[in-house]
Amino acid sequence: MLLLEILHFPFMQRALLAGAMLALILSILGIFVTVRRMAFFGDGIAHASLAGIAIALLVGVSPLPIALAWAAVVALAVWWLERSTKLSSDTLIGILFTASMALGVVLMSFTRGYQPELVSFLFGSILSVRAIDLTYILIIGVIILAWLLLSFRQLTYMSLSEDQAIVSGVPVRLQTIILYVALALATVLGVKILGIILVSALLILPPAASRLLSSNFRGHIVMSIVMSELMVLLGLSISYLYDLPSGATIILTGTSIFLLVALTSRLKR
Amino acid sequence: MPKSLPKTSNRPPAVSIVGCTVSFGGQKVVNDVSFSIPAGSVAAIIGPNGSGKTTLVKAILGLTTMDSGQVRIFDHLIADAHPMIGYVPQRLDFDRRFPITVAEFMELARHRHLEKEKIDEMIDEVGLPASILKQQLGQLSGGQLQRVLIAQAVLNNPDLLVLDEPASGIDIVGEEAFYDIIRHLNREHDTTVLMVSHELSVVSKLVDTVVCLNHKMICFGPPKKLLTTKGIGRIFGDQTQIFEHGHTHVHAYNSTSATKRKTTTKKKKY
Repeated sequence: MLLLEILHFPFMQRALLAGAMLALILSILGIFVTVRRMAFFGDGIAHASLAGIAIALLVGVSPLPIALAWAAVVALAVWWLERSTKLSSDTLIGILFTASMALGVVLMSFTRGYQPELVSFLFGSILSVRAIDLTYILIIGVIILAWLLLSFRQLTYMSLSEDQAIVSGVPVRLQTIILYVALALATVLGVKILGIILVSALLILPPAASRLLSSNFRGHIVMSIVMSELMVLLGLSISYLYDLPSGATIILTGTSIFLLVALTSRLKR
Repeated sequence: MPKSLPKTSNRPPAVSIVGCTVSFGGQKVVNDVSFSIPAGSVAAIIGPNGSGKTTLVKAILGLTTMDSGQVRIFDHLIADAHPMIGYVPQRLDFDRRFPITVAEFMELARHRHLEKEKIDEMIDEVGLPASILKQQLGQLSGGQLQRVLIAQAVLNNPDLLVLDEPASGIDIVGEEAFYDIIRHLNREHDTTVLMVSHELSVVSKLVDTVVCLNHKMICFGPPKKLLTTKGIGRIFGDQTQIFEHGHTHVHAYNSTSATKRKTTTKKKKY
């Protein structure tokens, strides 16, 4: 009954479709984020995208494409600096994310009046997913999914043992660049629903909950996707039902599911 | 891409390295090293800690950039030689709570044309029970993990197996079985083996060629000729003494660095 009511509204149809796609790609990318110990990456990229949003608002163009391009540039900068300075990605993300966010804040000070679009980017909103945004999410989402499908074995191998992967012929450098850019794009796409501040949780919560229930890698992937879809779709429905901010509701739903899984798996032992 | 080479004695050298120099922070870690390892042989790179052994192996495998020099694997550049090489790193630095089974980890390295049964075959060959395939990788002991790494490295029937300190983290009994596996792979599968090792008595019994390294190549040749008291003193320092005790161990003991190197010589069937 509730589902039918929710599906009646075009904005909810767009939000649910966008949410389902984002849950899928972020949950799979999140597995590599956690195994490579780069949990800070999503958070940093999301915050760094503020500069891209600020530039777009100043110029008066649609913020999403600019934010996507900006995030991809930051991701490439992290990759390049990692190689040339030998500093960890977390350190570099820490530097670039604060610098980029500071730039965003400075640029924002030049815009006048209340910026509803900025508020929706900061905290996420189910009302903010326009048809054009959904198109971006679906097209980029399908491209990332296709790449994940083709490269899954290589990505797993290089995440576990980079040197062995290189010796066995995996193009590690190319796949790392694509992984960083894919992560940046997926994170910024998620900003529309979850907001800059909260989006990175969707990279961490589903794989973390899935780990507690999985004894093999295949099960880990499936459970991570199931958990992610459950968190997003249930969170969006609750958000609609009680008129709550979508990003915060999804994350609180996800955290509740994680705690429930943690408790259940502890009791099972 | 070159296919697996025919196992004949007319093969080109397994590893041919000329003028290899690698620097870190302006310091030459490996300095103008040149040697050639014959196909079908077992070779070991030995030297004191920090002498550049791992860096040299990484340069051979294309894992680190050389300042100068050239490496050829069976007369191919490293970029074209990947299908011919199996590699066992010194340790697998991974998140041990990551839920991946041994079977899934082995599967990551399997070439598409190889049948899945080859995984069972290789696990058996390194002396592990088939049941281990269902276990999580992070739950294995050091010795079991090293055997799994070898099984994975030889899964695609490589012509060259490169091992970096393969027995590190394994107990003495495990070491014996471990070196028997290396011997078996070389003799039964004609796999050329190049390994970094501290185990002097294993080196003297197992390998055909020794590369002594202390940033520069100090010596190169058969172990019987090089691993004398005088020779070991040249490699590890004049304070190094060799002594045997009990029934299984030989130690090279450097009184200056107080570093003990123990080895196992007792042959064990696995």
